[in-house]
Amino acid sequence: MTDREEKNNRINVDQDEKEDANLVTASAGDVETIPVAQQTVRTILRRLAELVFLLLFVSTLLFFLLRLTGDPAAILAGETGDQEQLELIRKQYGFDKPLYVQYGVFLMKMLVLDFGTSLANAQDALGLVFERLPTSFTLVLIAFTANLIISIPLGAWLGSRPDRTGRKLGSTGVFILQGIPGYITGLILIQVFSVELRWLPSIGNQGPESWIMPAITLASFQAPQVIRVISANVSEAMREDYIRTARANGAGFNTLLWRHALKNAMLGATALIGAQVSFLIGGSIITEVIFAWPGLGRLLVTSVTTLDFPVVQAAVFVISVFVYLSITATDLAFIFIDPRLRRQRA
Amino acid sequence: MTKNSSSKIKIPSTGSLQLDLGLVMFFVIVIALLVQLIFLGEDFLDGHLRERLKPPGYNGPQGGYHIFGTDQLGRDLFFRVMGGLPWSLGISGVAVICVAVIGTTIGLIGAWYENWIRTTVLLGVSAMIAMPFLVLALVVTALFERGFWTLSLTMGFIAWTAVSRVIYAEARGLLTREYVLAARLFGVSKWSILIFHILPGLRPTILVMAAFFFAVLLIIESALSFLGLGAPLNAPSWGNMLSDSRQYLVIAPWMMLVPAVTIVWSVISLNLIGDGIAELSRKRARAVEV
Repeated sequence: MTDREEKNNRINVDQDEKEDANLVTASAGDVETIPVAQQTVRTILRRLAELVFLLLFVSTLLFFLLRLTGDPAAILAGETGDQEQLELIRKQYGFDKPLYVQYGVFLMKMLVLDFGTSLANAQDALGLVFERLPTSFTLVLIAFTANLIISIPLGAWLGSRPDRTGRKLGSTGVFILQGIPGYITGLILIQVFSVELRWLPSIGNQGPESWIMPAITLASFQAPQVIRVISANVSEAMREDYIRTARANGAGFNTLLWRHALKNAMLGATALIGAQVSFLIGGSIITEVIFAWPGLGRLLVTSVTTLDFPVVQAAVFVISVFVYLSITATDLAFIFIDPRLRRQRA
Repeated sequence: MTKNSSSKIKIPSTGSLQLDLGLVMFFVIVIALLVQLIFLGEDFLDGHLRERLKPPGYNGPQGGYHIFGTDQLGRDLFFRVMGGLPWSLGISGVAVICVAVIGTTIGLIGAWYENWIRTTVLLGVSAMIAMPFLVLALVVTALFERGFWTLSLTMGFIAWTAVSRVIYAEARGLLTREYVLAARLFGVSKWSILIFHILPGLRPTILVMAAFFFAVLLIIESALSFLGLGAPLNAPSWGNMLSDSRQYLVIAPWMMLVPAVTIVWSVISLNLIGDGIAELSRKRARAVEV
């Protein structure tokens, strides 16, 4: 495909969307179209294969690392355990059997979602994780939404006329913000709003005002990066031929920016937005620790520190599934939004 | 490298303001690291409990002048931040070398083979990318004894996935070029093609990724130490200093600000270098096209 053809296709993409977003069969030139249903099934199957691969890999890695780096029975017995107790624990948990038998049993149990009980309080490991999940989920969701609400307009504004002084200053500011890790943002927020001004509570989950700082902290992990990508994409899109054509047809600056340039810029930022969830979950661990937030991240840190491995395995399992659900959702959303994804390469 | 020839006094320049600034900022860090390694060592890391939690600029009767103040054990924050340089930069430096080597190798392997090897590489890489990096690093480092090599190698062996995906895409593009086809027709072996024909073309990409990952790994290293699972407890790593500072935010905010500023300085300098190299290679590509 030549350069010119590709550009023509982009214009067609734009027009297709204007005419009918659901018009699946509309194709540009010699490009074949795949039905949405088929594409959806294909995407789900691919993601499912990746998820199975990931779960197998990570749990196997953890399983063997735990047994190679130390004696799990000794961890269970604690400092007070004598030889007799150790033997008893080994028998009870099956640590006396060969490693491959243990591994087989572990895999079979994972299939039926049985991760065992927490070593700390004998509660069901998966139950403990699910208990904490809603809090973390809400935090991630708020941060994700806030991030998009702030990043998309700001990125579009910065990228629309990148050479003006105000926007240059703005871009520099975003660049500096990108250099500030989220945990430092969190500590500075606590310092300013809890310690100096005494406006917001610094720890725990005590009503709506205690959500503000954790959400900002978590959003700050990714917002600068999203803003920069969108701004770069928008400023590139504004130089494209289809924008010039639209301008020649008499479209105003705002129409150009918000209707044409931003739409295409957003499509380029898909991968980043999908990967966001993974980053946000990583960030939520630190955020929850800083703000003493009773979520999954803090449960993970506590159980990792105390080597409570049933809970760690369960938490890693749930996090992987959660990440894959959101990635697949993003994939599917973009199949519906972006007509180019429905086209097979000719 | 082009010289800035427009002004009379010749300032050496790379042609990108960002890269220049980033390199200058990084130069400061390198000088500080050399000073630390050659002159300071671990001599000044101990503190006097009598001078605990003193503000920046405190002039003590026996411990001397504390330009950045002291922490909860009376340790001088300037010397601790300097002592943290080999830890924080060393750990992320070793890790970024692992990331570049492993990521490039796997990416090239995925790009060369067109059979099940590619399928496996792509499947594995996209699966691993989905796993939050911090979660994996957290869980794995907890199992080993805390130390320099544990931390750096763990991070290096986990973080390469994103690099290999980028290298894979770039390398596949390069493999379709005519000079590669010519080399193949002449019967050049696959490793020779990959190393002598493809790898040089990937250099700017690898440099950009390395600069960004250096920054990312620096942040992750401090984050792990901050969570109490990174560098050994008594090591003066910047994450440990931040972690200590949490309990004294009210009475000694400088304990947080000093390591925070050094982390931000390093990250920004690395981001500037990465952006600058990317900008330069874009400019060069455009110049070739025209």
